[in-house]
Amino acid sequence: MILRVAGQRLGDLALVMLGMSFLVFAMIRLVPGDAVAIMLGANTEVTPERMAALRAELGLDQPMLVQYGVWLSNVLTGDLGRSLWTGRPVAAEIAGHVWPTVQLTVVALVLGAGLAVPLGCLMATWRGRWADGLLRIVTVLGLTIPSFWFGILMILTLSILAPEVQALGYVPFSEDPLGNLARLALPALALALPILANLARLVRSAMLDALAQDYIRTARAKGLSERAVVYRHALANALIPFVTSVGIMTGYLLGGAIVVEQVFAIPGLGRLVLGAISERNYPLLQATILVITASFVLINFAVDLLYAAIDPRIRA
Amino acid sequence: MRKAILAAALLAGGWAGGSQAQVLQIAVDGSPAGLDPHLVTAFNSFQVVSGTIYEALTAIDRNLSIVPGLASSWTVSSDGKTYTFQLRSGVRFHSGAEMTAEDVASSIRRVQSPAIGSALASRLAAVDQAVATNPTTVTLTLKEPFAGLLTALAGIAIVPRTLEADKDTLQRAPNGTGPFRFVEWQPNSFIALAKHDGYWQSSRPQLAGVRYSIVPESQTRQAGLGSGQFHMLANIDAATALPLRGRPNVQIQDTLELAYSLIGFNTSKAPFDNPKVRAAINTALNRAEIVQAALFGAGVPGGPLSPALKDWAVDVAEFPCYRPDPARARALLAEAGVSQPITARMIVLPRQDIRDIAQVVQAQLGAIGIRVEIVNQEIGQFVQDWRNSNFDLFASTNAGSIDPDDYFFRAFRTGGSTNVYKYSNPELDRLLDLARTQGNQAERRATYAQVQRMIACEGPAAHIAYAQLFTAHRTTVRGFEILANRSLLSLGQVTIAP
Repeated sequence: MILRVAGQRLGDLALVMLGMSFLVFAMIRLVPGDAVAIMLGANTEVTPERMAALRAELGLDQPMLVQYGVWLSNVLTGDLGRSLWTGRPVAAEIAGHVWPTVQLTVVALVLGAGLAVPLGCLMATWRGRWADGLLRIVTVLGLTIPSFWFGILMILTLSILAPEVQALGYVPFSEDPLGNLARLALPALALALPILANLARLVRSAMLDALAQDYIRTARAKGLSERAVVYRHALANALIPFVTSVGIMTGYLLGGAIVVEQVFAIPGLGRLVLGAISERNYPLLQATILVITASFVLINFAVDLLYAAIDPRIRA
Repeated sequence: MRKAILAAALLAGGWAGGSQAQVLQIAVDGSPAGLDPHLVTAFNSFQVVSGTIYEALTAIDRNLSIVPGLASSWTVSSDGKTYTFQLRSGVRFHSGAEMTAEDVASSIRRVQSPAIGSALASRLAAVDQAVATNPTTVTLTLKEPFAGLLTALAGIAIVPRTLEADKDTLQRAPNGTGPFRFVEWQPNSFIALAKHDGYWQSSRPQLAGVRYSIVPESQTRQAGLGSGQFHMLANIDAATALPLRGRPNVQIQDTLELAYSLIGFNTSKAPFDNPKVRAAINTALNRAEIVQAALFGAGVPGGPLSPALKDWAVDVAEFPCYRPDPARARALLAEAGVSQPITARMIVLPRQDIRDIAQVVQAQLGAIGIRVEIVNQEIGQFVQDWRNSNFDLFASTNAGSIDPDDYFFRAFRTGGSTNVYKYSNPELDRLLDLARTQGNQAERRATYAQVQRMIACEGPAAHIAYAQLFTAHRTTVRGFEILANRSLLSLGQVTIAP
């Protein structure tokens, strides 16, 4: 059963990636602006011949569909191409930028999802009281404040309250584990806030739903403690929508990371994508989006498998 | 034992160039695309390589005058067509090889080579041949006299002769003669340089290295300077610098930029083909107001050349159209006899200060009945439209040059390589050609004064303003000098106090 589902999902993955690759390929070329013109700059001595020569050298003089075909067949043989600007293999560029993003996303996810469960449960049990109302207002704020703005706000606050703290940029974990975590704290918080708010509200309403069910009354009638009722019986049933949302939120995190990395000067995939778009660095952009798409689809695949673990009805 | 460790520590300290030697942390806003000094065109690259990793035969000092660089002296033949350079001895590349006249001649050939495709080639268009006469002498013969040669040479980095035909190596692994050698480049993260131990000026550099951290967000750079994580934000604009004024432990230097903002006209399109219309627009513009509104007051109204070029620039008070006078502007439009109202599509470089300037210009031109439609574009689109002259007007900025020829010839001469205005004026062409051959400084200055008067009001570009350029650094940084051409040359003499 699991195997069949997995096979089907992998087939979907291939289809999604193929479609996505074509969309990205077409979109970046439909955007006005020309890679060669940008490379040669606005204030330099550039002749049409030089532009044509460079265009031919990069293979950009071919019809678009031909370019796509060449690119696709290279990708299928494992060759992602070379960055137009630096000439380095795209795979190496991505490998050099992937870890900061993975780390940032994972820390933000753990922070967001981890805090959302207790917070949501508390809000549900406090329903109608002032603390619940206050937390609901806070979560609305969390939902509506953009991550990058919150990030800038935190940087400015820190620079006033503790001007000597150096918390910007990125150092690899292998070089300086403490420095690495210290520098990830603020960006991860900025990134986690919206999903924390979103998930906490979700857990709250799912819990309220669950707490109104007959089996809760039964559990209480059995004389179970309130804690056991809430955390063992209600929460277990409220987790299914939560897990689905976590999967979707991971995709959101990858998108949010783009701006947050920009603000905190973290050399991750987001910076790579943003740079590639403004440079019209086609091979780099296409490959990076492909990697991001693949991870998004794979995460959702993992979430589907998680359902089975959580819900016995799906396992059957 | 403890003594031994102490001695070892002292030795190590001494070996690193004294206990004072530190790494200077600079925060910059963008990642360079490459580091080959002959191929890069963006400022993000220049600030990493020029004057730090690479040097040239001549150099530009803080007064923007030509001083000896890797050439200790030179002589010019009486016909102005032969330059003989005497090279310094004991100059070594970071790879360890000694720099000789062959390296110089090969660097010049490399820039000129069509296969390399250097954007600097046009600056050496007058050079016929570069020959290493002996290991310490280089002779350049010119096709015709070219008065701007010494300035042009200051921009031609000397690279090892082994790389004459190599387009790739230097983009990622620079190798020059400058005070700092390249160590590491983590894209989107940082570029690290270290002290060049064999540097020919024995007391330099004082720093153990320079690290350029790439931080795109200006507020993040400001916070990092405040916390001391970064020592310096080099060459920043007023919007970034002014909020830092008065911060503890932060010092701000400023200078007038060589770079200028301008409004360009498409002189192949009516009514901007009419010099009277261009003069009307120049007269309608209130440059002082633009400086106040768009540049936070940090700048000066300017003509075709930066007031920083004291030897060359004509005082703007001499240009009649620089006295804002809407009534006179309207009269000029009437004289021009063009059909009104005039509507114009203005493309705008995507930079905040230029966008702000464009809006003020729109309002000021509106007052004389010219309706300007502002087209905000993304950089790729802007560059393409600009290059293809697909505009009525454009608002932009240019880096500016030390030598007037370097700017005027390519921008305003008929068929010039950046003459996107499609401007053609035979009299101006004659003057620009003449100035190139004038070895006498006073005569050349007179010619360029005439050029400036000719284009200030009726030329294809309305020059707007020269902004104030800032560098903010920690007060512990000593010896840094901000330069109008944005060069970080003085890093060689910088120290950091404990």
